[in-house]
Amino acid sequence: MTQRRPSGTTLAVALLALVFALFFLFPFAGLVWRAMDDPRAREALGDPAVGTALRLSLVTTAVSVTLSLLFGTPVAYLLARCRIPGGAVLDALLDLPIVLPPTVAGVALLTAFGRRGLLGEPIEALTGFSLPFTALAVIVAQTFVAAPLYVRAARAGFEAVDPELEAIARTLGASRAHVFRRITVPLARGPLLAGAVLCWARALGELGATLIFAGNLAGRTQTLPLAVVAAFEGGPLGLPGAVALSLVLLAVALVLLMTLRIVAKRGLA
Amino acid sequence: MSLEAAFTTCTGRFALDVAIEAHGEIVVLFGASGAGKSLTLRAIAGLVRPDRGRITLDGEVLFDAANGIDLPPEARRTGYVVQELALFPHLSVWENVAFALPGTRADRRQRAEASLAALGLEGAGDRDLGTLSGGQRQRVALARVLVRDVRLLLLDEPFSALDDAIRRSLRLELRRLQRELGRGALFVTHDLREAYLLADRFVVLDAGRVLQAGAPDDIFSRPVSGRVAELLGVRNLYRGRVVATAPDSIEVEVGPLRWRCASWVGVLRVGDTVDVAVRSERVVLRRGDRPATNALDAIVEVEEAYGANHLLQMRPLAGGPLIEVDMPARPYEVLGVATRKQWSLELPPQDLHVMPAAGSVEA
Repeated sequence: MTQRRPSGTTLAVALLALVFALFFLFPFAGLVWRAMDDPRAREALGDPAVGTALRLSLVTTAVSVTLSLLFGTPVAYLLARCRIPGGAVLDALLDLPIVLPPTVAGVALLTAFGRRGLLGEPIEALTGFSLPFTALAVIVAQTFVAAPLYVRAARAGFEAVDPELEAIARTLGASRAHVFRRITVPLARGPLLAGAVLCWARALGELGATLIFAGNLAGRTQTLPLAVVAAFEGGPLGLPGAVALSLVLLAVALVLLMTLRIVAKRGLA
Repeated sequence: MSLEAAFTTCTGRFALDVAIEAHGEIVVLFGASGAGKSLTLRAIAGLVRPDRGRITLDGEVLFDAANGIDLPPEARRTGYVVQELALFPHLSVWENVAFALPGTRADRRQRAEASLAALGLEGAGDRDLGTLSGGQRQRVALARVLVRDVRLLLLDEPFSALDDAIRRSLRLELRRLQRELGRGALFVTHDLREAYLLADRFVVLDAGRVLQAGAPDDIFSRPVSGRVAELLGVRNLYRGRVVATAPDSIEVEVGPLRWRCASWVGVLRVGDTVDVAVRSERVVLRRGDRPATNALDAIVEVEEAYGANHLLQMRPLAGGPLIEVDMPARPYEVLGVATRKQWSLELPPQDLHVMPAAGSVEA
């Protein structure tokens, strides 16, 4: 067996890949290094404000994902199965929140549900309730930007389920609902779960829309990403706090990604 | 079991307009692919909504366009099996069979196992679909519809994907089940042999229309049109003109040839344009004296052997169309067709079947 010397091209590709990989590795390494190096960062980890932000993030994202599943699943199924009038428009609308800068989404939400908003004004006049700058507003902002990701994935998942299986299942005596529960959803399980995880990750990282629509009120609307901004901009936690909060976010994101990998693998099997 | 279905439906450029009856027997829907056979079954199963018409099963109205009745598929109690089987890949064998059964898990399991056993799949309930052979998967699909109290089986080329031996045993099984359970079946196939073996009643479908319906023997011996004859495998089909009629026979001119035909459908008059059909295996080669009627001299133009038979394309010496002769190997050898090429052909009058060229006569 002769050993072939790596060609110039191979070396070039390897070098590019290495530089690229380091580019992504260094920021994370920096984060960890700073947390280890700076005792104030470790102290900040124990700060109750971090815990509060984490709790708020987990609760709001959980609700956002639940809402996305609840409303997004039927929409995704309709988009996958039916030729509905204006389907192309609906399709584009679903893409919009993905493409739109989140800050624009925040402004848009304000103009609709804000105190002077299209719907917000009459609602406040009738009930005295104002949506912006509440935890509910955080959920609305997160759902607005994250739900389309779930709907996209779910639609692709439903499209991959052979409609003939559903048709035959019905001739066997099963109602539409039964067929959906026992045939469609189990067969689309992988994409549905992947979509949900993506949706959750997007909600967890949501910053721009929340900042504008819900504000950055500690304990009320300040989720982890917003807490990072507050700390960085001279809040009581300071830069060490920003590092600590970022580490917590990184950990949660990693757990989510691992879950996604496991789910995707199971979905294929 | 009694089905009466008459409906029309349009999908794109294809129009289906059928009327079908079935009363507890096996009715074969026969036709080339694209004839509308599957669409007919889907409409009866409730998966396609006809534009007009009415479908009743055992007196219950499944569909009635005039009165706005359209029972959903789950309420029709038909057992629909397709060629691809549509088994649920995420469920085990017994879960497939028990899919829509009500009751406790143990109950459902028991019923599923009983249905599987009836089809020779004892104890296969826990198996994974992937471990089953084609024939076994077919049996699971049948068990899945038979586990319920279905009133009518709708079988859409269920055996097409299987090899010959398994098809034969499944055909016998289907016959047995139909007898034991008294359930009628609409069986769709484009395989003439399968159609003939299974059919109590035979429905010939072409381009969305029923061309002929009746007992298989009847349809085979007395097709109503050239198209039916063609679909039923008649290779010798000639356009001709009636030149004389008698109570027991009709004389038809085909090109320069003139034949006495003893089988026909409809009322035929002198001068009518007609189609004449004669099966290749009915044409007789004569070695010695010329027969009295429908004799003609012809030479073998092309010949090919397939299995135990020989196909001869014969050119009449007097002119006229090629006549195909299908001959078993034994007479072929005894007569010595391999070496002698010119023969007297006999077309027995009772095997010459005459149909109006328009093909619009009711059977």
